[in-house]
Amino acid sequence: MIEVEHLTKDYGTVVAVRDVSFSVGKGEVVGFLGPNGAGKSTTMRILVGFLGASSGRVRIAGHDIADESIEARRAIGYMPESAPLYLEMRVREYLGFRAAVKKVPRGERKAAVDRAMSLAVVTEMADTLIGHLSKGYRQRVGLADALVANPPLLILDEPTAGLDPNQIREVRKLIRSLGENHTILLSTHILSEVETTCDRAIVIDRGRLVAEGSIGELRARQKAEGAALLVVGDEKRAKELAASIAGVRRVVAKRADDASAVRLVIGYEKDTEDGARILESVVRALVLEGLGVREATPTRATLEDVFAELTRAEETAALDPGEEEDA
Amino acid sequence: MSGALPVYRREMLSLWVTPLAWVLLVVFLFIQGLSFYSIVVHVSGMSAASIDTGPVQAYFGQSIFLLVSLLLVCPALTMRVFAEERRSGTIEALLTAPVTPAGVVTGKYLATLTTYFAMWLPTLLYILILRNTGQIDWRVVGSSYLGVFGVGAGYLAVGTLMSAMTKSQLTAFVLTVLVQFGLFILGIGEYVFDAGLLRDISSHVSVLSQMDEMSKGVVDLRRLVFDGSLVGLPLFVTVRVVDSWRWG
Repeated sequence: MIEVEHLTKDYGTVVAVRDVSFSVGKGEVVGFLGPNGAGKSTTMRILVGFLGASSGRVRIAGHDIADESIEARRAIGYMPESAPLYLEMRVREYLGFRAAVKKVPRGERKAAVDRAMSLAVVTEMADTLIGHLSKGYRQRVGLADALVANPPLLILDEPTAGLDPNQIREVRKLIRSLGENHTILLSTHILSEVETTCDRAIVIDRGRLVAEGSIGELRARQKAEGAALLVVGDEKRAKELAASIAGVRRVVAKRADDASAVRLVIGYEKDTEDGARILESVVRALVLEGLGVREATPTRATLEDVFAELTRAEETAALDPGEEEDA
Repeated sequence: MSGALPVYRREMLSLWVTPLAWVLLVVFLFIQGLSFYSIVVHVSGMSAASIDTGPVQAYFGQSIFLLVSLLLVCPALTMRVFAEERRSGTIEALLTAPVTPAGVVTGKYLATLTTYFAMWLPTLLYILILRNTGQIDWRVVGSSYLGVFGVGAGYLAVGTLMSAMTKSQLTAFVLTVLVQFGLFILGIGEYVFDAGLLRDISSHVSVLSQMDEMSKGVVDLRRLVFDGSLVGLPLFVTVRVVDSWRWG
């Protein structure tokens, strides 16, 4: 649905997007992830034909966005960041205008507008001036606008930015349900959003693609960092035993809620591949010594940590010009 | 031209549901009414009037009020067409729809032109009032209106271009006024320069001379060609400007 090859965008000396290539298949819901200022919006604006690329190619539904711009744009429902709207229009008027601009045949416009309004849950505000709507409703009108011509591809730039937690949950739910019939590319700087709504994520930082893969694959980058154990018995002995296992870097004992037990927090050595085996050995050693183990929970890096690591690795690579490899 | 019709309809709605068009209409008709009233009072005091100095000629051809109102109304009608869309960001939604820059520019321009026409419509009442007291040469009325439409169409095209050049409505307004005023001053050159190239150029672009001629029923094709190029050239550049935003 989207094919991006070696996309670069520079503004004079400032390079906003640097040699980015990725593709999004039909029916996928893909999160476009990166910190603020990473080049997400610039990339999306190039994808929808609002900005021209300095070099590289973008194909949308088989059409080149530069050479067959109109055909490519007809396949896209785009919601720009913060959904700018004409405040002097009523919701129904605005969506009717958008349907006309997107070449929905005259006879089908009313039905298309009604359908988009009910999908985006703004029907009750149909005759309200957009200027009188709250931020959450405006965002949903923007979403209805993206949906009105029933395009196969939705490109949503920060669809949940500026919303309150309830609204965020509703919009995510909506995106998930839209994902059944549409290909969706949505940008965000919030990882949990990708976790809850997307099948796959593309991570960019400073205009470069730093990682791409399914949520599972990204999670696999989350190495086990350590474990938390709830142990019944002698604290000192337990600490010694845990520390004696190969691969364990440090052991900290903490007071547990239950006075009879002690909480051991274990940290593995850096870049340990086989955290599960180490934890197994620790538990076995403790049990063989007659200590009770009530809980053993591996602590994983969150996606946030993976994200931070990916973007940090990029930083060090940038400092060292000899190493241009992506993390 | 893809998208011209929906853009035109939206612009019309936006112009007439907000106070702008109505405020301009009131100001415009007040100035025109003042002009017409003073002319009628003046003419009624005259004992005899030649065919070239009737109230219609005075109203369209000799009155400075006409130029003052155009200097105000045209830039105000066009100042927001692109500047406001770029300031608020709605231009992004508009230009990512399957529309062409030419379609967007045409739709927006025609909306301001229609509104401008609509503002002149009530002045037809003045002609009807005059008809009750004397004879009206409808061909002269026709050429006079052709004149104001031609001049206004050019000013609106310049205004559309200026609105595309800035994100500030005020800047667009001031720039348009400057261009209009510049053309007016250049036209004054007709009375300043000695006979020669400069005077020829000045008389060609002179709004005063154009309206003077047309209010007497003289329709010179060169005037219309000049008005036409004052529409075509700025609009062509506007399309290029809109297209160039992709590279901004």
